[in-house]
Amino acid sequence: MEQDFYNDDFEQLLKEKSDQFRMYPSKRVWHSIYNNLHPGRRWPSYAMSILLITSLTLIGYLNTSDSTAVNKFTFAAGNQPNGNDKIKSLQSSTGDNKTNYLAEVSYTESSVPDIIVASANSVVQPVNLKAPIVAELNDNRLAQAMDNYIASNQIFADVAAINKNKTVKEPEQRFTEKIQEDNSIEAEAVASKKINSEVTTAYKPAAHATADIIESKEINVSESDIEEPADKSTITTADKNALSQQEKSWIEHYAMYNKPPGNKWKDRVNVAYYVTPAVNYRKLSTNTKGSSTPFANSDINHSISQRPGIGLEAGAGLEYLIAKNLRLKIGTQFNYTNYNINADQTNHPILTTILLTDTYTGFSYPSARSSTISNNYNASAQQPVILRNRTYQVSIPLGFAYRMSGTRNVEWFAGASFQPTYVFGGNAHLLSTDLKNYVKDPSSIRNWNLNLGFETYMNYKLGTYNLQVGPQVRYQVYSTYRKNIALIEKPYAIGFKLGIVKGF
Amino acid sequence: MLTGSIRNNAAAQEALYNRFSPRMLGVCYRFAKNREDAEDMLQDGFIKVFTQLHQYRNEGALEGWIRRIIVHTCINILKKNKKFAESVDIIHANSVYVREEMIPSIMQAKQVVECIRTLPLGYRTVLNLYAIEGYSHKEIAEMLDIEESTSRSQYTRAKAMLEEILVRKKIIQKQVKRTTLYGAVSPR
Repeated sequence: MEQDFYNDDFEQLLKEKSDQFRMYPSKRVWHSIYNNLHPGRRWPSYAMSILLITSLTLIGYLNTSDSTAVNKFTFAAGNQPNGNDKIKSLQSSTGDNKTNYLAEVSYTESSVPDIIVASANSVVQPVNLKAPIVAELNDNRLAQAMDNYIASNQIFADVAAINKNKTVKEPEQRFTEKIQEDNSIEAEAVASKKINSEVTTAYKPAAHATADIIESKEINVSESDIEEPADKSTITTADKNALSQQEKSWIEHYAMYNKPPGNKWKDRVNVAYYVTPAVNYRKLSTNTKGSSTPFANSDINHSISQRPGIGLEAGAGLEYLIAKNLRLKIGTQFNYTNYNINADQTNHPILTTILLTDTYTGFSYPSARSSTISNNYNASAQQPVILRNRTYQVSIPLGFAYRMSGTRNVEWFAGASFQPTYVFGGNAHLLSTDLKNYVKDPSSIRNWNLNLGFETYMNYKLGTYNLQVGPQVRYQVYSTYRKNIALIEKPYAIGFKLGIVKGF
Repeated sequence: MLTGSIRNNAAAQEALYNRFSPRMLGVCYRFAKNREDAEDMLQDGFIKVFTQLHQYRNEGALEGWIRRIIVHTCINILKKNKKFAESVDIIHANSVYVREEMIPSIMQAKQVVECIRTLPLGYRTVLNLYAIEGYSHKEIAEMLDIEESTSRSQYTRAKAMLEEILVRKKIIQKQVKRTTLYGAVSPR
């Protein structure tokens, strides 16, 4: 009988205390629920993904553009534009290093640059420059005026003034004030009541006021007690449902700035192994600047018999969960690229020419070579042979994957990567200027290159493992061949990724 | 609020979520390994709540109805973990050693909940379902795919271990047969 009584009492205690316990979820939980319930309103996710992919594509495009394109955006220190007052860059006046651009500003008589946005590694905050420089607008020396303005340290005075005018309180300051406010309320409550069990169920941030009671019972209060906003709900059992909107918003705000200690890195890091069989394509072009003997036909891609080859990429890497929907990736990857050319083996060497480019002047010139392979385009081969242009590469992909949508077990990701690549072997066959012969020249392969990868995949959770499957595109930014080869080959691969991801 | 949520009105759904999510997250937290997992359980649970809300018949408290869905969601998620089934069937009380540092120094409701969370997964789940959620051993056996006798023995061991933790933490007194909070006025 007594045992039953004891059991009931114990279970009653557990139930009461457990029912009193509350925690306030983070905002992202509601956002995820909302996205699941209202799938038609996910445009921000799609817009973000498109923006990221477009940005990466643009970066790739700018990297491959010729030098004239680059000149549209920069100018040398002694070659500043004049006349139309198009200021393409604003340079730091600290030191002689004119490459430290603060911002790009476009200026006309009617548009005054309002703000200079600091570069990522700068401590300078956005500064309103309109007033100090407006007097200088009548001539074409705005850039000089900017330099003078910065050099006179007026910019730092402006920054200090802006910072001084900030009225937003720091989170810790707000928290301290809130604690003090709570303590004063709690102290009044304690003074007006007997010290009984109700006090020990009081609001946690008031730990200072109830410290004596707690210590007398030999119960330690750690910092985590004070930092737990969830217990705010236990002010009293009577009004535990009556948290005002202000209190809730404070708790959320507090939770945002006083997050509990983060999980161990092991909880955020996964190791991934993947393999991507791919079909390799390529696009040929030429750089025939100043050459008196350019290629016989400018449409090279349709002057040869070629077909895509099967390639492969395989690698291992780490995924770091930087946010609920965003993973950063880094790893090591092996790439095998392969492209097939249909040709005809000849029985004797043939004197031919390939087109080279002078890396200093940029002008092309012919170079004599011997060849034993001829182009059999539009002709039947006597001794048909398949030439394999292949490379062996190792790269370090740096990228991200964004979770577009999904459930607990199936998720859809889209991502992109930037892959510095070292080509450590391969084979290359260069086309002669008359398009009739091929010259085997592995030494023409460029050692350092850059690939861009784009992928989208489904992530299936299988127990402790995740399976990732989905299409992938890899594009090589620079030509396969060295700068001194006038023939430009830009391969790209379309493959299907199979990956396994596992936590530590 | 209820009608709006059934009609898929986002504002009404958010109001309903804001009203019940703190307590439901507390429920999930007792089952989960950490706060992040608890939030995932809460998320899945509330999605089920909103998609099945039209089935609610006003026959009982809405909170109780939501709570049952949340608990079932937690159990379903736990059951997908292979280690869970093993921990329910295999772990015995004498094979588990509770280290002092495993016991958190946190007060009151959170202190009790944290002590419950130090229990092995199988013990904790059965104790949560039986002592706190009020399910019978028969129902627990069906939910967890175990024998009813296993549920009973797991609960007995879980309670013994939790009692040891609470006594060592000086949250309850074992000397008297009635369990009371330290310093608290006995409820009877």
